[in-house]
Amino acid sequence: MDSIKINSNINLYYIPMTKMKTTTVGVYIHRPLCEKEVSANALLPYVMKRSCKLCPDSESVSKYMENLYGARTAACTMKLGDDHIIHFGFETISDKYAPDSAKLVADIAELMLSILFEPTAFTGDIVGLEKKNACDRIMAEMNDKAVYAMHRCGEEMCKGDSFALSMLGTVDGINAIDAESLKKHYNKIITSSVIDIYICGDTNIKALTEKIKTYTDKIAFREACIPKSEIFNGNGGVKKVTDKMDVAQGKLCMGFKTGVKANENDYISFMVLASIYGGGAHSKLFNNVREKLSLCYYASCSLVKNKGIMFVNAGIEFRNFQKAYDEILAQLEAIKNGEISEQEFTSGVKSIENDFESYKDNQRMMQVYYLNQKVSGTDYDIDTMKERIGKVTLKDVTRVAKNVELDTVYFLTGKEEA
Amino acid sequence: MELKFVKSDITGEELYYGKHSSGLGVYIIPKKDYSKAYAIFGTRYGSVDSKFVVPGESGLTEVPDGIAHYLEHKMFDQPDGSNVFDKFAKYGGNANAFTSFNMTAYLFSATQDIEKNIETLMDYVQSPYFTEESVRKEQGIIGQEIRMYDDNGGWRVFFNFLECLYQEHPVKKDIAGTVESISRITPEYLYKCYNTFYNLSNMSIVVAGNVDPVKIAKVIESGVKKNEPFDEEIRKVYPNEPDEIAKAYTEQKLSVAMPMFMLGFKDTDTGYSGKRLLKKSIEMNIILKMLFGKSSRLYKDLYEKGLINNSFSFEYTMQPDYAFTAIDGESSDPKAVYDAVINEVDRIRNEGLSKDDFERIKKVIWGDYIRSHNDIEDYAGTFMRMLFMDIDYFNFIDAYKSVTFEDVQARFDNHFVKERGALSVVNPV
Repeated sequence: MDSIKINSNINLYYIPMTKMKTTTVGVYIHRPLCEKEVSANALLPYVMKRSCKLCPDSESVSKYMENLYGARTAACTMKLGDDHIIHFGFETISDKYAPDSAKLVADIAELMLSILFEPTAFTGDIVGLEKKNACDRIMAEMNDKAVYAMHRCGEEMCKGDSFALSMLGTVDGINAIDAESLKKHYNKIITSSVIDIYICGDTNIKALTEKIKTYTDKIAFREACIPKSEIFNGNGGVKKVTDKMDVAQGKLCMGFKTGVKANENDYISFMVLASIYGGGAHSKLFNNVREKLSLCYYASCSLVKNKGIMFVNAGIEFRNFQKAYDEILAQLEAIKNGEISEQEFTSGVKSIENDFESYKDNQRMMQVYYLNQKVSGTDYDIDTMKERIGKVTLKDVTRVAKNVELDTVYFLTGKEEA
Repeated sequence: MELKFVKSDITGEELYYGKHSSGLGVYIIPKKDYSKAYAIFGTRYGSVDSKFVVPGESGLTEVPDGIAHYLEHKMFDQPDGSNVFDKFAKYGGNANAFTSFNMTAYLFSATQDIEKNIETLMDYVQSPYFTEESVRKEQGIIGQEIRMYDDNGGWRVFFNFLECLYQEHPVKKDIAGTVESISRITPEYLYKCYNTFYNLSNMSIVVAGNVDPVKIAKVIESGVKKNEPFDEEIRKVYPNEPDEIAKAYTEQKLSVAMPMFMLGFKDTDTGYSGKRLLKKSIEMNIILKMLFGKSSRLYKDLYEKGLINNSFSFEYTMQPDYAFTAIDGESSDPKAVYDAVINEVDRIRNEGLSKDDFERIKKVIWGDYIRSHNDIEDYAGTFMRMLFMDIDYFNFIDAYKSVTFEDVQARFDNHFVKERGALSVVNPV
């Protein structure tokens, strides 16, 4: 990976990957996750991508992309710990696959720069419409019940902490925004945030660097840094929350405090723990909660890297709450007691190594991998990461497991159920 | 087994392929610089195949709905009691399986020990082992899978839509069956389906990624357990589906934030496979993007009126014996969206499609095709799906070049017929 500093805030990273037939550009604008600006950040990318100096309305943006053999664009926000990231993604087939020798990558970069630095859609009509869409997105979080249960569990668990905020903002927050205040927010953040641009594929990086410099050298930037995440300290005791909804299946989500920071050595051991515990068909949760007890179709765990949190999720019959709850904790206890077979341990390690190695065949995953490394303050490349995973011992896993504490139990249940 | 070779000069893609004497089709797509390899071992057998005549028998066999999917789950139980996932995990393979309307497939991806993983894949899919007890145990798990989909608005709006389009065809039935239908599944039924559809002459394997084709072909060849190909076709029996749809509208209430909709048209120009079907699918994909894509008049109008949002999407689904378009999204007023679609169809019927739009959208299809070779899992999956419709994916460029504006105009007239359109809505509780 080549890394090029454009100015105090903007970094360009180039990951050459000519084996793929596309070139992908990812823009990541880092903002602190906080109530004051979460809603404006959530709304902003959807308004910015509507139009710019290069393409003055939505239709011309679409036609521009279509003429580049169907280049693709995406906008969203992400939450990496307490870092609220505004993201734009662009992807085009690489120039050598264009039948008419078009300069697709240069043209898509041109559009990216115009959207970033010359957006024109801050009008009452467009902002009004995108506010409505932003509120729809917030409301639609309930549609996927598994995701919703995890979101609600995190919200209850981290009450009072910024991490309880949804990356989509709040309905009240969105409603309080107007075209003028959004424009003001844009002007503020575009000059005072770290902006990382990752390019993965096949491009002339020198020419692109020059183009970005030309676009930005008249703008006055205020030096910024990446927001730091605070790890979750726990509520002391186990918090229990139940929501009722008209659903056929119950969703159990259990939130645990791990006490491990993303930049500590122990985090690597924790990844192995999570893989053995609930990282797929080789894991304890899959083999016991699903295969042995037939309680569910899925049971798995996931880590929130920068917050020291682990979630366990399962979809179960309402009446099986206690059985599933007991078994999930029993399997964690087994890990704490070192009851891990050689097969479980090796499978857990190999599964993570396989995931990391697979990223090398996916341009977006490569960007996100390096972005994650940067946000966590670690700079391991994939091979180094695999090497570190390979060095984790069973003792390491049981040692870090001992710090895991159940904090919040969330259950989404049916309306008729007692 | 003799391997043949083709290469596309335009994309640089290569394919080695052959047919084993057992009838198994073998397809290997080397991707030299990739880290990963992926294999998919599939049978032409899906949820729509509940009635069939076994080769050598004269009578019709009828089995409970959902059995193809149930069988897929039960293939993971092995005669020696071992766990298939453990075997893959030993070689770092990430294994999975799925059942769709027309196929069942077993697959893995791995970044090491590819040959060992292929041996494992070949071995377990050819080792059925079903007992009363193991079949019963699965009812709890699949019961929860069915429940999970009961709460899924996107899934429900889709199957309700198919129930509008189809009067008889089993494509309208849920792939996993119902809690009632799966309760009637027995080991005997499973063996009957297995011995029919998992005969290697009804199956193919596609391997893509960082592999040596000659070595892989050898591993596959020595993994064949039963070399007894059928000498006649398995006759799948589908009911006669009339051109008319079953009903034009349906709705259901679920815990969703705002109404979800799916609308579309039943394709009655069916009954063929191969090149002709491939060409039709390209024509349909061009029309869908011309009509509903982000640069279209209709999209702009609906979006600016706030009737659709970023969840809006569209797709053409095709098989030789059924096909349909589906346009879906969230809207405060699904009926208004439906009416706008019908009005736009009427307008285009009068005014014709735009040639400029056609030329521009045809470029988009090119980009989609080039992109489809990137992700080896999607690539191998698409390749197999096409194969099972007698389509050679390496023929895409020829088919693409042959599509004219007149073809697309004629396809539009044929497909977008108001009487064959339907709307399915899932409303909030």
